[in-house]
Amino acid sequence: MIAMRSLVSVVDDDESVRESLPDLLRELGFAALAFSSAEEFLASASVAETRCLILDIVMPGMSGPDLQQELTLRRQHIPIVFISAHADETVRSRLLAQGAVACLFKPFSETALLEAINAALRVN
Amino acid sequence: MTSLGTSRNDLPLEAAIPAAAAPLESILCTEELQRRPSRPPDYEAENRALVHLVSRLADSPNTILQTLAETILDITQCDSAGLSLLTKDGETPDVCGTRFYWPAIAGTWNPHVGGGTPRNFGPCGDVLDQNRTLLFRHFERRYPYLLPVIPAAEECLLVPFYVAGEAVGTIWAIMHSDRRTFDAEDDRIMASLGKFASSAYQALIHMEDLKVQVTERERAEAEVRALARGLETKIRRLVEANVVGIVLWNLDGAVTEANDAFLRMVQYDRDDLASGRLRWTDLTPAEWRDHDERGIAQLKATGIFHPFEKEYIRKDGSRVPVLLGGALFQGSGNEGVAFVLDLSEQKRAERALRRSEAFLAEGQRLSQTGSFSWRVATDEITWSEQLYRIYEFEIGVPVTLDLIRTRVHPEDVSLLEKMKMVVEARGGGNDFEWQYRLLMPDRSIKYLHAVAHAIRDRDGQLEYIAVVQDVTARRLSEEALATARSELAKVARVTSLGVLTASVAHEVNQPLSGIITNASTCLRMLDADSPNVDGARETVRRTMRDANRASEVITRLRALFGNRDTTTESVDLNEATREVIALSLGELKRNRVIVRTELAEDLSTVSGDRVQLQQVILNLLLNASEAMSEVDDRPRELVIRTAPDEGDRVRLAVQDAGVGFGPQGVDKLFEPFYTTKSGGMGIGLSVSRSIIERHHGRLWATPNDGPGTTFRFSIPCNSGGGADAGSAGAIRTPAVTTATPAMETP
Repeated sequence: MIAMRSLVSVVDDDESVRESLPDLLRELGFAALAFSSAEEFLASASVAETRCLILDIVMPGMSGPDLQQELTLRRQHIPIVFISAHADETVRSRLLAQGAVACLFKPFSETALLEAINAALRVN
Repeated sequence: MTSLGTSRNDLPLEAAIPAAAAPLESILCTEELQRRPSRPPDYEAENRALVHLVSRLADSPNTILQTLAETILDITQCDSAGLSLLTKDGETPDVCGTRFYWPAIAGTWNPHVGGGTPRNFGPCGDVLDQNRTLLFRHFERRYPYLLPVIPAAEECLLVPFYVAGEAVGTIWAIMHSDRRTFDAEDDRIMASLGKFASSAYQALIHMEDLKVQVTERERAEAEVRALARGLETKIRRLVEANVVGIVLWNLDGAVTEANDAFLRMVQYDRDDLASGRLRWTDLTPAEWRDHDERGIAQLKATGIFHPFEKEYIRKDGSRVPVLLGGALFQGSGNEGVAFVLDLSEQKRAERALRRSEAFLAEGQRLSQTGSFSWRVATDEITWSEQLYRIYEFEIGVPVTLDLIRTRVHPEDVSLLEKMKMVVEARGGGNDFEWQYRLLMPDRSIKYLHAVAHAIRDRDGQLEYIAVVQDVTARRLSEEALATARSELAKVARVTSLGVLTASVAHEVNQPLSGIITNASTCLRMLDADSPNVDGARETVRRTMRDANRASEVITRLRALFGNRDTTTESVDLNEATREVIALSLGELKRNRVIVRTELAEDLSTVSGDRVQLQQVILNLLLNASEAMSEVDDRPRELVIRTAPDEGDRVRLAVQDAGVGFGPQGVDKLFEPFYTTKSGGMGIGLSVSRSIIERHHGRLWATPNDGPGTTFRFSIPCNSGGGADAGSAGAIRTPAVTTATPAMETP
């Protein structure tokens, strides 16, 4: 049963997001794991399992787009849903152009989140 | 006469002269000379005698009379021979003399040399009376006056002795015994020797005269020479000292001699002088010729020309200003001497003085600064032109206290009155500053700032010298500047706000995002067939936490940007810093800036306006973040430090690893509107600095050893007291007031 659930990984330096978002994802029927940085995610065993990556744009150290680039280099084609507290349309357009499935500005609704994840899973 | 009375012979005084005893005829036997048998003339002996006389005259002229007496003695073989000269003064032969004087006697009567007889009491007087040769026998019988002159004269032959054609004496020969008698040959030879002696004596007198004349002339010449030598030495000294130029010239235009000083002045050399190339007429520029003409007219009239200034043309064509004076040589009519003083230095000094006076006047005009002097003892007041202009008085009118009062603001005390107060209170001698206002006739106000300096002149008299500056324009611009600065502060706040919006949105959106996510989760947990109440409780707890977090952001935001007046309070810089970091974290994070804080524990609080200080910190943080926006080859690390500083102060430093402030230098950073950013207003630093300065602190920037810049400010701790509060409040109220504070510096 658990194995049937798609793994959605959350990478965000904000603890509040790491606490709340996985719980909601689980309520929505996904498996969820939270990582506080891109480096931590890359070092984990979950990269290959992850069907959708919810990725904060602005983080200390490696940023969200940096991680996206790194995954591309590693040929890990994980659909990415970017999230950001900075509502910057320029950034969103650029990220979508570079292959992101969606880019959500915080705070985002449950509906928007679910749509983005479903879109990501469809890519798979 | 007395000389005769005291002479070395034994002649009695005239008072004792006995009356003539025998008649003249009884003692004269002159005719016998021709009757007596005579010796043949012995010309050879006569010649020898004359030669002897001549040679003695040459060798020893002073003894010529004695030689004559001895010659007569020798040639006549008599017993005594001598001369009697009529004299007034006892020495000089004189026709009008009253005594006979015996200047020379040879033979037996030699001891009577220097004696003599009265004019009319002896045979000599008879000879002169008759102006011929007389032969006496025992003349003492007629002239008992001569009785004491012994041995007595048996016979005495006397011939007249002429000087300058006048018979002024006799020469005589005496036999004291009858061993022989005088004859015609004696008469002849005596006459011959007498003539010779007359001539010789005359020559002698003449020679003596000549000698005296020569001696006198020599002495006079020596004196003149000595005088001339003295003068010459002095003149030579003058010429050679080359203190002044000295020139010998003639009216034809030639310079015949000149000293080095003159040659230097006109840059000619000795060769020019020797060749005659140096002509004063050529040295004189055309426009000075008529001065020369006047000088020459003066010379011709009076022999001198009074000193006047003119110019000479140097050899190289340049000109030298000179002072010239001189005179014609006496009796030459054409040649003269002149002294020449080089006035270049003096002219330069005059020009420099004029220039510096002009500079001073211009400087006073440009700087709106007048000067003022007051001699305390004499109450003498001197104003510069600019001070008249400031007071708008006609330049030159006498300055009185009453006149000054017509301008000074009725509420203020004039500088002069203030000076008088200082002198009365403290005896003067103090420097002080004074500010006061003028109320001009058109009701406008001028603000004056004076600095007075007390000096004592050479006589010890006190004098005040003051500079008075019209600072009205400065006052007005200070007011305008203060207004502009407060406007700028508002703009800066707005600008910061613009930059902050994103950051604040981030800070608010983060908790909002958490709240919504948690709320969604909560709903789902409760909507489930078997509600997960524990999970829902946890999500509610998180929601409340996030809501509080958002609320704090709003609170901070309101504190920073709320519409409020400045206040003074105790500010913990560490706390203030943390709040600013919290607010700007989003912006910093977006710029991928790593913030490190090194905040000193137990940091003293400072007194000031918390919000203003936080605006400064925020400004520094945002600048630092901005400075690192293009840095990719190193961590974008930002370090904020607080630390106690020297002198009971607290220091805060914001260090970035950015691109630095470039070659424009640090100071430019603080200029309003300076910016290295393409966006932004660039007013942050200048406003920040003014805020820190109003907290009696300073704000500065230094380049790091590594990349980037560190901005620091240092402000006094709380112990500074409440005085700071007022000045911190000055950001809202211009520091300029219209009051006239009296500030005195001891």
